[in-house]
Amino acid sequence: MSGGLSDAIAAYLGRTWDEPVEIVDLARISGGASRETYRFDALVGGERRPLILRRDPPGSLIETDRRSEFMALKSFNGRGVAAPEPLILELDGAELERPFFVMARIDGGATASPFQPDPYAPHADAIARDFFSTLGRIAAADPAGLPIAEVFEPPALDACWKRELDYWSGVIEADELHPQPIVRAAIRWLYAHPPPPAQKLSVVHGDYRSGNFLHDGEGKIIAVLDWEMAHLGDPLEDLGWGLDPLWRHTNDSDQVGGMCTKVDALRIWEAASGLKVDPAAFGWWEVFASVKGQAIWISSAREYRDSGFREPILCFSGWYTARRQDEILAAHLARLAA
Amino acid sequence: MTPNVRDVLQGVAVALATPPSPEVGMAYTASRMGMVSTLAVLAAGEADRAARDAITENAAIRALFAGAAVHDADGALTAAAAEADADLAVPALDAANARLRRLLIGLHEKVEAAGDGDMNRKIVALYVRMAQIRRMALGG
Repeated sequence: MSGGLSDAIAAYLGRTWDEPVEIVDLARISGGASRETYRFDALVGGERRPLILRRDPPGSLIETDRRSEFMALKSFNGRGVAAPEPLILELDGAELERPFFVMARIDGGATASPFQPDPYAPHADAIARDFFSTLGRIAAADPAGLPIAEVFEPPALDACWKRELDYWSGVIEADELHPQPIVRAAIRWLYAHPPPPAQKLSVVHGDYRSGNFLHDGEGKIIAVLDWEMAHLGDPLEDLGWGLDPLWRHTNDSDQVGGMCTKVDALRIWEAASGLKVDPAAFGWWEVFASVKGQAIWISSAREYRDSGFREPILCFSGWYTARRQDEILAAHLARLAA
Repeated sequence: MTPNVRDVLQGVAVALATPPSPEVGMAYTASRMGMVSTLAVLAAGEADRAARDAITENAAIRALFAGAAVHDADGALTAAAAEADADLAVPALDAANARLRRLLIGLHEKVEAAGDGDMNRKIVALYVRMAQIRRMALGG
């Protein structure tokens, strides 16, 4: 594979590393809906380096800061979390014209499609242990000593919920194309019933769910992906997102992410994090997760229209996924009103 | 609702008419075409159901408004409840749906402020029904 992008990458890396670079096997991959993601090998100094390029697209599912994603990877790579090694961050775009970063590529793994009914069989239990204990270790880390702290002002423990809710309800306010009474009712409930302060400040991955990691097919997670929404906040936020019924893979209401039961997920997370799941607080973050999801899907529909109907994934998210999220939100509201 | 069938099919047409750039590769192109074909199948199902679903949802919202006189100081809900969908073209039905949904949001806010638990439960039950009406099946 060759062409303009290949030449641009070669020119950039050659200039950055100060030696000739040849790019081979460049191909776009589907990972990460908010960045253009490419895999390639860089031939440099007699070595072949397997790499990933994550470049800002003209339009995307979510508007995120590539620096925060880069620093989140830097925070956890080599620290007990299978975060790929971040290598180069280029905010000006340079030869590639749009901001991007380059990270090491981890080969040999598989991701789960949302439409696979049993994506991790027969290793679902092992994946569940790895998945929720990894999240527990992310939650347990002290952000103050991590590179990501350079990007974000730490919120007060009692302000984590409001900062996130203000942001995502603002996205809905700005991007809604058709009136959405269900998510608006959920937003009002969240404001009227704030959770207790976070028990600690944690790094929040922001999109920690089934489908956003590579596994080796034998029960081991080899790469945690898609850190573009990483921030500092309440550790229960990631847990609520990961357990959202949207990521279930089946219609089994007791099942989480195609892996295990909710009870098992929370038990594994508590053991790994040393933290507790307060049911009232977690209930708030469960509803919030569905609101955040709907904000992303509403934003997708807006971007799909405004960008000239170019990206099929934006259409699917803003249409099919949004309607599924409405079902989940309505079920939350019915439970709360009972 | 958004995107509507017209938006979806425009995207399908754009995707089919746009040649992949050289650096994209076969795997990504195949994945993208898989998504495009899924959208086309969903659009076929939606084209069959869109008018019926909008009429059903609009009728359900109007039925709720008919029983909400206590929260209807300006008469807007009563007036909306008395309307019917005369124009059965999907864009007209969607426009009526948008007006009804805006009124529904306003009603729910009033109901919450008044602490009317009974009406709140009726509205939430309507939300559950609306979500079911709009459910999409990947089989079309």
